[in-house]
Amino acid sequence: MPEQKETLEYDVLVVGGGIAGGESALNLANIGYKVLLLEKELTIGGKMILLSKVFPTLDCAACITTPKVSEISRHPNITIFTSTVAKKINKIAEHRFEAVILKKPRYVNVPDCTGCQLCEEACPVSVTDQYQYGLVGRKAAYIPFSIASPRAAAIDIDNCTLCGACERACPTKCIDFTQTEEEYLVKVKSVVVATGFNLFDPLKIPRYGFGKFKNVITSMQMERQLAPTRPFNTILRPGDGKMPDNIAYVLCTGSRDKTVGNPICSQICCMYSIKQAQLLMGALPMADITIYYLHIRAFGKGFNEFYAQAQDMGVEFVKGKVGKITENEDGNLILRYEDIESGVVKEAEHDMVVLSVGVLPNMEISETFENKNLELDPFNFVGQPDILASPAKTSIEGVFVAGTASGPMDIPDSILSGGAASAETTSYLRRASL
Amino acid sequence: MEAGKVNNSPKILVFSTEKISDPAIDMAGLLKLHYPPTVYTIPVPCSSAVKPKWILHALEQGFDGVFIAADGTDCPYGESCTEKTAQVMTATQQLMKDKGIDPARLKMAAICSVCSEPFVKHVKSFTEYLKKPSN
Amino acid sequence: MKKKIGVYICHCGGNISDYVDVEQVRKAVENEPGVFLAKTTMFACADSNQKEMVEDIAAQHLDGVVVASCSPKLHLITFRAVTERAGLNKYNYVHANIREQVSWAHSDNKPGATEKAIRIVKSAIAKVNRSESLEPVKVSATKAVAVIGAGVAGMRAAIELAEAGSEVYLIEREHFVGGRVAQFDDLCVSTETGKTLVTRLYDEVMKHKHVTLFTGAEVIETSGSVGNFNLKVKVVPRYIELRCKEHQLQDAIDVCPVQVPDEFNFNITMRKAIYHNYPSEYPQLPAIDIKNCTRCGECEKVCENINFDQKTEYLNLKVGSILLATGFDPYEPKRGEFGYGEIENVVTLPQFKRIMHYSKDKLMYRGKQIKHIAYIYCVGSRQVDGENKYCSRYCCTATIHSAVTAKNKFKDIYNYHFNRGIRTYGKQEVLYDESSRKGDIYLQSFEDAPPVVEKKGDKTIVKITDILTNNKELEVEADLVVLVTGMVPRKENSIAGLLKVPKGRDNFFNEIHMKLRPVETVIDGITIAGASQGPKNIMESMNSALSAATKSFSIVNAGELALEPTVAKIDKENCEWCGKCDEACPYSAFTKIEYNGKFIAEVNETICKGCGMCLPVCDTNAIELIGFTDKEVESMIDALV
Repeated sequence: MPEQKETLEYDVLVVGGGIAGGESALNLANIGYKVLLLEKELTIGGKMILLSKVFPTLDCAACITTPKVSEISRHPNITIFTSTVAKKINKIAEHRFEAVILKKPRYVNVPDCTGCQLCEEACPVSVTDQYQYGLVGRKAAYIPFSIASPRAAAIDIDNCTLCGACERACPTKCIDFTQTEEEYLVKVKSVVVATGFNLFDPLKIPRYGFGKFKNVITSMQMERQLAPTRPFNTILRPGDGKMPDNIAYVLCTGSRDKTVGNPICSQICCMYSIKQAQLLMGALPMADITIYYLHIRAFGKGFNEFYAQAQDMGVEFVKGKVGKITENEDGNLILRYEDIESGVVKEAEHDMVVLSVGVLPNMEISETFENKNLELDPFNFVGQPDILASPAKTSIEGVFVAGTASGPMDIPDSILSGGAASAETTSYLRRASL
Repeated sequence: MEAGKVNNSPKILVFSTEKISDPAIDMAGLLKLHYPPTVYTIPVPCSSAVKPKWILHALEQGFDGVFIAADGTDCPYGESCTEKTAQVMTATQQLMKDKGIDPARLKMAAICSVCSEPFVKHVKSFTEYLKKPSN
Repeated sequence: MKKKIGVYICHCGGNISDYVDVEQVRKAVENEPGVFLAKTTMFACADSNQKEMVEDIAAQHLDGVVVASCSPKLHLITFRAVTERAGLNKYNYVHANIREQVSWAHSDNKPGATEKAIRIVKSAIAKVNRSESLEPVKVSATKAVAVIGAGVAGMRAAIELAEAGSEVYLIEREHFVGGRVAQFDDLCVSTETGKTLVTRLYDEVMKHKHVTLFTGAEVIETSGSVGNFNLKVKVVPRYIELRCKEHQLQDAIDVCPVQVPDEFNFNITMRKAIYHNYPSEYPQLPAIDIKNCTRCGECEKVCENINFDQKTEYLNLKVGSILLATGFDPYEPKRGEFGYGEIENVVTLPQFKRIMHYSKDKLMYRGKQIKHIAYIYCVGSRQVDGENKYCSRYCCTATIHSAVTAKNKFKDIYNYHFNRGIRTYGKQEVLYDESSRKGDIYLQSFEDAPPVVEKKGDKTIVKITDILTNNKELEVEADLVVLVTGMVPRKENSIAGLLKVPKGRDNFFNEIHMKLRPVETVIDGITIAGASQGPKNIMESMNSALSAATKSFSIVNAGELALEPTVAKIDKENCEWCGKCDEACPYSAFTKIEYNGKFIAEVNETICKGCGMCLPVCDTNAIELIGFTDKEVESMIDALV
């Protein structure tokens, strides 16, 4: 049984500490409301903080996220709970919500941790690093990544052998194995749902060979290879550590595909693939990059220009649907695809394949609401009953949605959506005080 | 003796920018990309704010070279930064010529907020240049 | 110069002290001028050390503090807060970066790293010796926001601002509200029509006692800066009194002899000089188009509420922030572009929507029934030769939606989509799927080989080399050719010129940063919303309008703004106004003033952002940037050499 802690009171509960939830929390806090920000991971910043550079400006994702993240974490009106999930949320009355939240132990006393990484050095256990999307390993005592917020260690208790090496190495004695799960009752006046999205799991398309062929990776794995906090300091294909010189992108992996149950377009994959292609051309000047696509969705501000720039740089765009990927003995991959321009089925060899995986809904949040129904749309994203005039409104009055919880969108749109959610929350809260 | 190595290396003053190039120089450290410790940095808000007077002061007081790590097009204060930084360069190099200082002792390059590797390359090659006896 | 500086050198648990001999650094700096105490600490940022620093500063009356630790990006603000907690003005704090730029960067050379650390700490001490206490520039802010443009984005922003508690002036240049959306019927992803959406928003605007709507109103002069903008607004009359009798008005419209092309219907119909755009239009009071009115007096005979004595009014408004929601123009094809203006059955997408609106059972245009419709995409967008390189974002979906609507509403409709790659992003994909299932034909070409529209006898033919069918030459005989025209920035946008709002490469308003600050401009206090910033659909416009409302509200909400005091400062004696600083300033922070019988430059502290671009251009060296004065920078250089 989790330890029962005291009741907490805030004006707003923001569920999800990614870029959209963070934007909402910050706007509300700047107006003077007290915000509790919940994040299920060890760090806030969501998926954005893990990205390399962002399209179409090619500025570094970390450079944009970290100032925002530190502004959020320093704000006197924002309380952040990491490693914490909302178990249930009930609407008692208008402007009265009660949530039960569960905070998992980190086994590290965060205010005392200085991020010195000595525990990491001392820990003898190596496991796969989820923040590097499985490309490399990490220790059981670890700092998620160098720009994590809080930049503090955590103990992965599932893999920890309780050897005590980290405790002995820690100069500030901040490791505490006596920590337990803590449950809080939270009373708030309004809720912002910013629970983000899940990435499509390409194991669901066995014909692409992900998981079987080592040189077939996901776009998120490539993103990590290109990020400033990258694992290898260069681009490698995982099979043999060779620097690839002929990379293929397979767009619409898990998007616009009824056979995997996702008929919609993920809105971001074309652009992030084009961005990665441009970054790869910088990192590996001799490499050839081919993008297999159905339609290039370069619709946002500066996107089409960015697409044209990639074409000018020599990125090859092939209008074609990839049917099957097979592996050669040398680890190279054969893509069998329908070349739409000629109408012929063709084959092409590449030494590395990146699957541009799509955006899927994160449905858990709707189950969190107990006495009211948080309605989902036909694609299982949070529904927007007044999508045109009030895009942040949900089926529950007083609950607002921000960012990709309501559907695929890119970073600028997520931030605008976060802004819209905070605006609607502000006027909802103001009605409470009138 | 290692300390000797330090003293022999030419001294370079880098004017970095608080929001763009200084983070890149920070990250060079984070990635342990080594460069000579005789490279010193003064961060300013924008590379087009560097006064020629400061550059001359540094060269006259004993710095062997000055490197402006410019914002380039990433400048948060607008796109005119590139052009204005270039004007600072030109004006200063003219003043250097007038004073009989080799204008190549002032260098500039755009360093984006993640351009750690280019930064290290630049300061290393600048160091090599300044090491040549004729300079 | 200071007398009591405290210096703290951080080990960072070995991150620094493994490579830098911190004790040697401490000894090297403890006798520097002004230094009162110099300590090393295991973790400068730890709570315990912060407490110790607060005690030192307060008990020893330190007048300057230096911490040598990690990058200032991580902890500058932390330690500034420490000095403030101890009662010392935070501008007497200087941060020295000896981790990222010393111990880590030079982990291969310990003596070199130590020597560099010593010099860096000395230069920080030199700087703090010359630092001065500064107070933020306080500006009172008027709790009112001007929203320019009463389209859906502007109205939505106005409602939100009023709900949050601000006074709002909603200023619309036209006589009617609703902007472009009022011209739409069925809307995508909703059962609502453009008109019902406009009606809903208008009703809410009118319900709010804190929103004042001005129609026929235009900002003609602006002055001031964030917190206190002054706007001069010109309001042209409708020449019709309020509370008029409805049937009389209709009579007045009926008798008016003037016929002019109706811009609301993109000139496919005519209207009178006394007009409204559609029957239930808001405000529900017609207006007289005085430019085209012949003053024949016919309307006055049948309607007692016509009043030609109404005068243009001028208002002065004071606001703390300005929210621009000035919208877009549909691209107007050039004469001959895909036959536009030359072949009679070539129309634009906005015109097509109005044609659908006026058709009953059969889709009719110029007296002929329309069955075969060819849509040519990307007209005025993604131009190869023209200026508009951008994608207009909304048009693929809008066109497919119109095509599906036409099919549902009228009999025997056949749609042919001549596209350049359909961009129905996100959930809009299902609409594309629906249209394909309903039998719409898609033909695609690349940028370099657009389709051709030509007249063959009385037939209109569209030709394309279709890349979807192995580059076959295909022809379609069309009853109507719809040019899918994109969004372009408003041609007439005088307010942008008055306020000097920056524009991007695409000529739409430019945000400061697409991700960090997407609705703010480099001019403090001015926010941008909707399609004025770039093509958007309605939902996206609403998100941006609501975001902009939040930003504008947070500016005016507190009633007082505290701005960074690190701005440019003029040496009045040395300044001989030459205007170079004014030219260099990206924010127009300088004004020319008279001082002691000469002209000099003055800095508006509320506008200056402290970038320093003015510093190097001053011939007499009469400008200093606070925090980067010659004394500070040169003393740092002296310490580093």
